[in-house]
Amino acid sequence: MLLVNIERRLPGLELRAAFMVGEGQTLVLWGDSGSGKTSILDCLSGLERPDRGEIGLGGETWFSSRRGIDLPARSRHVGYVFQDYALFPHLSALGNLAFALGAAGSRQEPAALLERFDLAHCARRRPAEMSGGERQRLAFARALATEPRLLLLDEPWSALDRSTKGDMHRQFLEWRALAPVTTILVTHDRAEAELFGHDFHEIREGELVL
Amino acid sequence: MKELAPLLLSLAVAAGASCLVLLLALPLAALFRKRRGLLWRLAEGLFMIPLVLPPTVTGYLLLALLGNHGPLGSLLLRLGIPVVFTRAAAVIASATVAFPLMYQSCRSALDSVDGRFARAAGSLGASPLRCFLLIELPLAATGILGGLVLAFARAFGEFGATLMLAGNIPGLTETLPLAVYSAVEAGEGGRARLLLGATVLVALALVALLSLAGAWPGLGRSRGRREV
Repeated sequence: MLLVNIERRLPGLELRAAFMVGEGQTLVLWGDSGSGKTSILDCLSGLERPDRGEIGLGGETWFSSRRGIDLPARSRHVGYVFQDYALFPHLSALGNLAFALGAAGSRQEPAALLERFDLAHCARRRPAEMSGGERQRLAFARALATEPRLLLLDEPWSALDRSTKGDMHRQFLEWRALAPVTTILVTHDRAEAELFGHDFHEIREGELVL
Repeated sequence: MKELAPLLLSLAVAAGASCLVLLLALPLAALFRKRRGLLWRLAEGLFMIPLVLPPTVTGYLLLALLGNHGPLGSLLLRLGIPVVFTRAAAVIASATVAFPLMYQSCRSALDSVDGRFARAAGSLGASPLRCFLLIELPLAATGILGGLVLAFARAFGEFGATLMLAGNIPGLTETLPLAVYSAVEAGEGGRARLLLGATVLVALALVALLSLAGAWPGLGRSRGRREV
């Protein structure tokens, strides 16, 4: 169970979010750009620090302004797929995964991960030399490399064309069925939201609308 | 070969000075780019002073600091390390004058690396040092390399500050620009022409290096190109 109750002041926006997500469930965050969705994900991943509130997962406190707890990103084990993927452009597919495993101190073999995400043929290719679908799989492989306890998806399929998007949706459903992970999905796509979401929240100007 | 000794000395001095400024400028640029305060800005402005001061004035200030009666120079002399009128002085003078170019290059190269990559590295749990060494530094490498060539070129051509701090001692601190000046002054046309020819060759090599640095394969892909 992920418990979130945070406040954060942003330029021109007062962010307030309180919600919970069940173990292995997917919560869809829905809202216009600039409404503070990405900022919520950043607070959960440890990239940003809320001004006030609490974040906890499965009985472990990640952040608590009252108790002065702020777990670093490294100890939270969060997988984050960015809207533009932010794959490291100077590293090969293998290098991108090796960096993720190394950063988390994992001893897993990056080559095995490539295999699992159907990317073995791209091992030595850099992101710029890969197709949209391959880049997308690499972004998921990198985020899932260290078996995160929470997966954050920031409009991960918005850059894909319609047919690739359908393939990627199916693939994600398969991965999720194999290893369910608590997920927060930010999207603008209603079909996507209905396909993946167990629960939905809309955000308007930093406020959660139920 | 003896005629070309100033060329070899200049190449060695410029190489030493470039390495020195790289080692100083890169960590400083990495430190200062994260700071926003007014005092940090002012301190950073001080780094640019050698760029705006006439080199002879920079040399004079270095002499005041490192000379045998200067605060640092007298201390070093007591430790048995003479500075003025040595080759080390030529390196220090060139490095001081070349430093702003190297610093600016490092700073803008690091600033040009898209912040998304540092965010991605952070979300994966990478420490700031790991992120800097494995992600930001390789992505900034082209700009840093370009800065290194510029710094080398500036150090290679250094005249004023070197003359003040290292003097113009033939065979010891007579670098190429100083040797050209001496040769023309003494009316040794043949020697001047030989040195000029050598200088032109070095200049051409540097220009070639600079364009090569820009086209370095695989580096500098961060400049907003592709990568969806």
